[in-house]
Amino acid sequence: MAAKKRKKGGISRSALVLTFLILALAVLVIIFFNGQGGEKVKRGAEAVAPKARTEAKAKPVETRAVTLFFVADDDDLLHKETRTIPAGPNEADEAERALAELIRGSEEGLSSPLPARTRVRQVFIAKDGVATVDLSRDVAENFAYGSTSELAAVYAVVNTLVYNFKPVKKVVFLVEGAERETLGGHVDLTRAFFPDYSLVAR
Amino acid sequence: MNAFGRGFDSRRLHHHPTMRFFRIVRPAAAALAAVLLFAAAPPARAQEPALRTVVIDPGHGGLESGAKGRFGNLEKDITLAVSLKLKALIEKGMDFEVVLTRDRDVDVSIENRSAIANNHKASLFISVHANGAVQKKAAGSETFFLSLNATDEETRRLAYLENNSSDLQSRIDPSTDDDLMMILWDMAQNAYIKESSRLAELVQGELDAMLGTRNRGIKQAPFKVLTGVACPAVLVETAFISNPDEEQKLASDDFQNKVAEAVYRGLARYLRKGE
Ligand SMILES: [Zn+2]
Repeated sequence: MAAKKRKKGGISRSALVLTFLILALAVLVIIFFNGQGGEKVKRGAEAVAPKARTEAKAKPVETRAVTLFFVADDDDLLHKETRTIPAGPNEADEAERALAELIRGSEEGLSSPLPARTRVRQVFIAKDGVATVDLSRDVAENFAYGSTSELAAVYAVVNTLVYNFKPVKKVVFLVEGAERETLGGHVDLTRAFFPDYSLVAR
Repeated sequence: MNAFGRGFDSRRLHHHPTMRFFRIVRPAAAALAAVLLFAAAPPARAQEPALRTVVIDPGHGGLESGAKGRFGNLEKDITLAVSLKLKALIEKGMDFEVVLTRDRDVDVSIENRSAIANNHKASLFISVHANGAVQKKAAGSETFFLSLNATDEETRRLAYLENNSSDLQSRIDPSTDDDLMMILWDMAQNAYIKESSRLAELVQGELDAMLGTRNRGIKQAPFKVLTGVACPAVLVETAFISNPDEEQKLASDDFQNKVAEAVYRGLARYLRKGE
C-alpha cells in the first residue's frame, strides 16, 4: 500500500485517504454480515435472542414478525404465537432465527415440542421451494418421542417455515448434517414435508 | 420362494452406491421401474398363499425405548407385552400364522420390520405402540394408517399402483435387481391405503368399545414403519404412557389383555367383511 502511494504521487493526498476509507468501510460491512451469519449458525438458540436485543439498542435494526407453532397443555393442537426477530439479510437467516426462537420456547405459557438443547445448524432455501433444515443431534438423541410428540416436533418446524417464508413450499430435515430415518422411531424423516395446518388451533 | 428370499440385507442396500444414486433420481426411476415390472409380469391374480400370515410389530426395542412414563415404564416393554398377548389370541382363534418382528427386547431396524412382513408375504401388518406427548394431559387411543403427503409425480404413480395392486408381491420377479426392488418396497404401502383405512377404522372401533379411553379416532401420518409394507397395515397407539393415569393402565396385565382383545376383534371384523 505504501509503495503504491509513492508511485501515484501525483494524485492528491485527500483523494487517496478517501479511497482508503471507502475500501475499509466496504470490508467492514462484508465482515459484519458474514460474521453475523456464521456466528448465528454456530452458537444457536441461546445466542440469538440476546444478540438481537443488543443490536436493537445499538442502532435501529429492521425487524419482522414471525408466527411460531407451540403446543398447549389442554389440547393436542399447535398454537400460533407471534415473535419479532431481526430482519435480513436474507430469508434463510430469518428462518434460522425463527427456528431458534421456536426452540427457545413460548413467552405465553405454551411449550416447545423440540428438545431445548437443540441448535439450528443451518437453514438452506433452494430455488425450487425446498427448505433444508439442519438441526443438531440433540433433536433426536436423549429425548423420548411418542408418535404425538414426534409429529408435533416435525410439524412445528415445517409449519413455522412454510407459514412465514413465502419461497418455502416444503421442508427436508437433516440431523447433524446427515439424512436420518426418524427422530424417535415414528415419522419418516427421509421425505419432504408439506405443512399440516389441520394440527393448528384456530 | 418369496421376493426377499435371497439374502436380503437392507443395510447393505441402504449404503450401496447405486442406492444413493436412486435416492436422488427416485421419482423418475421408480416410475420407470414400476412400468417395466408391471408390463413384464404376466397377470398372476389367483395365487392365494396356502397359509395366511399376520405380522405383529412391537414398537421400538433394545436401545430404543420409545416414549417413557413418569413411573419409569417404557414404551418398548408395553408394546412387546401387548403383542405377545395378541399373538396368542390370534393363534388360538384364527386360521393365521403369526410372526412377530421381535419377541424379546432387541433392536430391530425399521426397514427390517417391513422386510419381515414382506418376506412372510403377510396378509396384514399391525404395529403396536404406546403414545407420548409433551402435554401431560394428552390421553386416549388412536389408530393410524399411512398418509401419502405425495407430490404430483407421486400421485400419478399411486394411481397406477392402485389399479395394479391386486397382487403386488407375485408380480415382482425374484430375479429383479435389488435396487429396483428397494424402490418398489419404499412405496409398497401406497397400494393398500384403502384397505389399511378400513382396518384402522374397525380396530379403532373395538378399542373405543373396550378400553374406556378417549377415542381419538383414526388418523393418517407419514410413519416410516408403514411405508414399506406390502399389505394392509396400521399402527395402533394404545394409550399415552406420558399420561400418569394411562401409564399405570398400560402397565397392568388387565389393560394389556383388553388392548389385545380389542385389536383381535377389529381384525376379526375386518376379515369377515373382506371375505
Ligand atoms: Zn412408538
